[in-house]
Amino acid sequence: MAAFTERMAPVLLLWLAVCLSGAWAVDRGNFKTCDQSAFCKRQRALKPAESPYRALLETMELTNTKLTLQLINDNNKVRLLLELYRLQGNMTRVKINELKPLKPRYEVPDVLIREPPTEPLSLLSQDENGVVLSLGAESQRVIVSARPFRLDIMEGREVVMSLNSRGLLAFEHLRMRKDTFSYKVTSTVASVWDNIKRVFTSQTEPEVEKNEEADPANQAETAKDEDKAVDGMWEETFKSHSDSKPNGPSAVSLDFSLPGVEHVYGIPEHADDLRLKTTDNGDPYRLYNLDVFQYELYNPMALYGAVPVMLAHNTHRTTGIFWLNAAETWVDISSNTAGKTVFGKMLDYVQGSSETPQTDVRWISESGIIDVFIMLGPTPTDVFAQYASLTGTQSFPPLASLGYHQCRWNYNDQEDVRSVDAGFDEHDIPYDFIWLDIEHTDGKRYFTWDPHKFATPKEMLQGLKDKKRKMVAIVDPHIKVDSNYKIHNEIRSRDFYVKNKDGGDYEGWCWPGNAGYPDFTRADMRDWWASMFAYDQYEGTMDNLHTWNDMNEPSVFNGPEVTMHKDAMHGDWEHRDVHNIYGLYVHRATAEGLIQRSGGTERPFVLTRAFFAGSQRYGAVWTGDNAAEWDHLKISIPMCLSLGLVGISFCGADVGGFFKSPGAELLVRWYQTGAYQPFFRAHAHMDTARREPWLFGPENTALIREAVRQRYTLLPYWYQLFYQAHRTGYPVMRPLWVEYPQDPATFAVDNEFLIGKDLLVHPVTEEGARGVTAFLPGKHEVWFDVHTFQKHNGAQNLYIPVTMSSIPVFQRGGSIIPRKLRVRRSSLCMEDDPYTLYVALNVQRTAEGELYIDDGHTFNYEKKEFIHRRLSFINNSLSSVNLAPDAQFTTASWIERIVILGASKPSKVIVKTTDGQESPVEFEFDASMSVLTLRKPGMNAGEDWTVTLQ
Amino acid sequence: MFFQIIFAAVFSGGLVDARKIRGISSSYKRFYRERKSFLCIDGSKIIPFEQVNDDYCDCDDGSDEPGTSACPRGRFYCTNLGFRPHYIPSSRVNDGICDCCDASDEYNSHAHCQNTCWNLGQKERAYVEVQMRTLDEGLRLKQQLIEEGVLLWREKQAQLRELQQVAEDLQIKLEEHRRRKHEADQLKEQTLKALAAGDSGLGRWNRTVSSVFQLLDSNGDGSITVDEVQAKVSFVHDEEQILSEEEAAALLGGGQRMDLIKFQHTLWEVLTKGDNVKIKDTPSSPVGEDPHLQAADKAAEWETTNLKKVEEAYDTVNMEISDLQKKLAIDYGTDWEFLFLNSQCYKLKVYEYTYTLCPFNQVLQKNTAGTEVSLGKWGMWAGTAKNQYSQMVYENGEPCWQGGSRSTTVTLTCGTETALRSVKEPSKCQYMMDFQTPVACQPVLKQRGIHSEL
Repeated sequence: MAAFTERMAPVLLLWLAVCLSGAWAVDRGNFKTCDQSAFCKRQRALKPAESPYRALLETMELTNTKLTLQLINDNNKVRLLLELYRLQGNMTRVKINELKPLKPRYEVPDVLIREPPTEPLSLLSQDENGVVLSLGAESQRVIVSARPFRLDIMEGREVVMSLNSRGLLAFEHLRMRKDTFSYKVTSTVASVWDNIKRVFTSQTEPEVEKNEEADPANQAETAKDEDKAVDGMWEETFKSHSDSKPNGPSAVSLDFSLPGVEHVYGIPEHADDLRLKTTDNGDPYRLYNLDVFQYELYNPMALYGAVPVMLAHNTHRTTGIFWLNAAETWVDISSNTAGKTVFGKMLDYVQGSSETPQTDVRWISESGIIDVFIMLGPTPTDVFAQYASLTGTQSFPPLASLGYHQCRWNYNDQEDVRSVDAGFDEHDIPYDFIWLDIEHTDGKRYFTWDPHKFATPKEMLQGLKDKKRKMVAIVDPHIKVDSNYKIHNEIRSRDFYVKNKDGGDYEGWCWPGNAGYPDFTRADMRDWWASMFAYDQYEGTMDNLHTWNDMNEPSVFNGPEVTMHKDAMHGDWEHRDVHNIYGLYVHRATAEGLIQRSGGTERPFVLTRAFFAGSQRYGAVWTGDNAAEWDHLKISIPMCLSLGLVGISFCGADVGGFFKSPGAELLVRWYQTGAYQPFFRAHAHMDTARREPWLFGPENTALIREAVRQRYTLLPYWYQLFYQAHRTGYPVMRPLWVEYPQDPATFAVDNEFLIGKDLLVHPVTEEGARGVTAFLPGKHEVWFDVHTFQKHNGAQNLYIPVTMSSIPVFQRGGSIIPRKLRVRRSSLCMEDDPYTLYVALNVQRTAEGELYIDDGHTFNYEKKEFIHRRLSFINNSLSSVNLAPDAQFTTASWIERIVILGASKPSKVIVKTTDGQESPVEFEFDASMSVLTLRKPGMNAGEDWTVTLQ
Repeated sequence: MFFQIIFAAVFSGGLVDARKIRGISSSYKRFYRERKSFLCIDGSKIIPFEQVNDDYCDCDDGSDEPGTSACPRGRFYCTNLGFRPHYIPSSRVNDGICDCCDASDEYNSHAHCQNTCWNLGQKERAYVEVQMRTLDEGLRLKQQLIEEGVLLWREKQAQLRELQQVAEDLQIKLEEHRRRKHEADQLKEQTLKALAAGDSGLGRWNRTVSSVFQLLDSNGDGSITVDEVQAKVSFVHDEEQILSEEEAAALLGGGQRMDLIKFQHTLWEVLTKGDNVKIKDTPSSPVGEDPHLQAADKAAEWETTNLKKVEEAYDTVNMEISDLQKKLAIDYGTDWEFLFLNSQCYKLKVYEYTYTLCPFNQVLQKNTAGTEVSLGKWGMWAGTAKNQYSQMVYENGEPCWQGGSRSTTVTLTCGTETALRSVKEPSKCQYMMDFQTPVACQPVLKQRGIHSEL
């Protein structure tokens, strides 16, 4: 209670410091600009020019799986090794490392779900200028140019993508520090060793190579000038923090040119528009997982997670670039058409003076190697499938986790939990999960409960279980340094903590005060961590308790940029190398823990704040500590859309805004928006007033209830989309351009979005809005307002007057969406409920949809225990066909009602079931809206059936 | 399918047996008399009677499905024989959770519900009995407290009147003293003036030539010298400026000395008739030694002290009056039943904090280290329109960390003792207290009881 101040004094001081420094916005001074990040500044100083790199064609080796080739930097004679792979599924992988690095450079493990299967490359032609290789189908080729080195991927006569065309390939080779004693000794030894080697090797090396060969010491000699020129290569200071950089400079960089492309997307997480902006006049987009206090909107600053994947799109092709590197990364974007008005572009076109529009992208990382996957599409869904084949798909969430989540920092005690739970029943609002933030623990010792406030957690969990509801409790990765704390003692005795540069356990300040950080990059550490979730280890837990990983960037209150020192050590690797993947490992170990505690049967639900490429495999993410402001409501749409594009479908923003207290209007609008976003959780900062849905007067309670109820009626559709995302990698929440890739009008839309391909949502995100203008895409489409059933044509901007109860949502003509209209206390209560099918006819009077059913919580769907059906309406007949004949599952759910939008009045309706029985179905027809409602056809949802309108 | 079972039940129940309609109370039976058709209760639609409780929602008001979960706005009647009957939302029918104690809501679900109505009824009866006893006892105590309150109120009123009387008396006294002081001051002033006039007029009343001569003759040698003139005589317009030797000598008629005789005819004339020079006012001036003036001065001082005393007494009494008036201005309930809480404090320890509620005054929180924090000062009653005395608000406590200040809402509940029962902080700096006291007992509670339906 109350004076939290006492116990939290140290932390509060820090927060206070942060608070004081900037009223209600991020303190930018706490985070680096490119200029303050030595490698970024160094690399960005390089301007496009002829590349110093040259391909040594004579070193080329072409095997069944790859092409290898050495590159030499003519300035310093350092050699690189290029590996080029043609991957199955229309992808190309380009890997560049030092030919002979002083010590191994970090290659990110555990992100690819397997070694990507290759396809043979065939040599089409070769001369002294380069080689041409076939990429298989559709006249796709890759051209390797030797002098200067560049790669061009062609299709026919068209260049799809060029690498190093601007000469920005840069590879800071590892080197000895020259001004130290150890350098002198090593370099002498090295040259002696080289001489000995030469004497004893029978095979003489080719003359050319010998001349150009440079040992590290010599490299350092030749690169002397480079070394001297720039500060921050061997040491770097930011604010009061110094980074010792024992390995010296190690950055890598490469440019990509995308001819014909004006729209690029992805590289989350940034609080910015869906369409990425050019960065010429400011900082590049930064990817570095950081705990940013009160983040600002519409800028390229780094946030909690990083997925180094960019999508490029134009009317005839979508491609992707996956830059597999877990170090701090900056992405520069420039465009030759940026800043030109539409008129200017037209003028260019008319005058014929225009150059092809082109977007140029440049990636810079602090360490590691260059390992790039070029996904060649050509459609958006191809790119999703390609990326999914590399890093896996969205984990299939338990159905309940798609319901509504009620969170707050903090629900104070068991009585508080009980009364909030009862509040939902009293106000007849469904919910599935209630959440406990850090205060539930015994002094911020995760895996424990406060002995007074949560004295009998099992009793509490059982109480929720009796209502078919669940709970999430937080488990953060910082561990209180306290010799009376079992978790700390075990980690210490197993030597599982991350080390500081001097070899001791790394310690930093976080919620518990002084804390250690387990080394989640270690598989044995993760196994141990997972085992801590066992019911006999994590006392007071039951199967309806799930987990939330916060602060896993990792957040270190007294560290540089509120995170871990880059020279901290994870075994042989520096934190610098692994920073962006740390959070993924925490998430993964936790999800595995939840799976293991159930004996491998139950799907886990774990929410994470930090993430990386591949995090989609372990659960949900949210957009971190946002604020109760209208702009934060708006930005939730592009932020989740960007995440969906790079595989992370299970995304949401704190409903209501974390910091500050929302007014009733903002809160209602946020519920209405959140109800149509994948992860639907209300959350609030401890310093804000209570905001459970019933605290804003009966009218607002009713509005919120209605929004939540709409969510619950659509759970069958959400669940089916998540199943699809799990199977294919297609995003659940999609930008319009993904479904209308040939319509440039959709390319920058991010104030509305699609759920799957059939629901268009244009939430009201303006204060005091009287109306919104929604863009209904598709020249040949029709869209039905899901509330009024009014039909609208596609390819138009539609003005929709709105009231406080309005949530503009449209169903695409040609789709069938299953709903469960009997909204109950929780999703589990609705398990056996009947379906209502909404059949929206297109102009051809056809429609198609799917229905997916399983037990909602186990992995048994992997054992083919599910129902997956195709519903199609054609020739006045609606039928359900089995999409998975080898799967087995039974359901009590039946078809309660079929609503056909855009129908004409039949004279009679007949239902025919598997047993051949035909029976008439009663119906009602609303001529004004052309809505036909079939009353209680009654078929089981898992059966084959046909309904015919006559 | 289960709705077929319902049909069977409905049909086998016979023609007019409306009691078999699931989920309705007896008062609604008249709407469900078996006929060919059923009219939705809101009159919106007529449907075949078979469609009542057939697990499909036909009526907008949900009236055709009182016994199933089919209608979004429907409600299901739990008869709960042996306990209280009540309605639940239709969405709780067959949801796998036992809501009606007679298990009637889960007639087709996996839930194994027991009929717990009898037990619940017992418990509730016992509880109600305790409640009633508490209420009776509470009301009895309340009556006492009301009586005490009335007495206390009267006492306080009497006290107020007494104080006001004292104040009035003091007022008179004060005026008397003010008058006296005024007179004393005046006397003093007049005396002073008279003396001053004597000074400048030199013996118009009581000064003689010889006395002035003696005054000027500082060393008493029988003659006035230049030094002595310089010391005692000044210009009328500028007392500070010392006369020069020449000027002094001029006054002495050009010589260095002057005896009484010469003085009487020369300087005396100048001092008494001219308006150029005068005798200086000096500390040792004869004014301070004047016995009349000394008496007047003492009298004035005496009266000032007296007045101050009376004023202080008057202020104290007035403060007491305004305090009392402020206290009496607080709404202590229709019968002053809450008056006794004034000047009381109640404590409760919750985890590491001790909370103190001093009704109509303030709320405090003290931690184990002994630091005290104000959680608010008396603000107002903030109960419902029906009973505004069900809640108190204390506001403007210690400022909060993120702005605003601490406040406490106290909910009053009926009990036989007066005590602080619980303290919570649902939002930061917003405290909720549960305060039990007999005076919160309301006779209306008595009407609540158990009536079960047959």
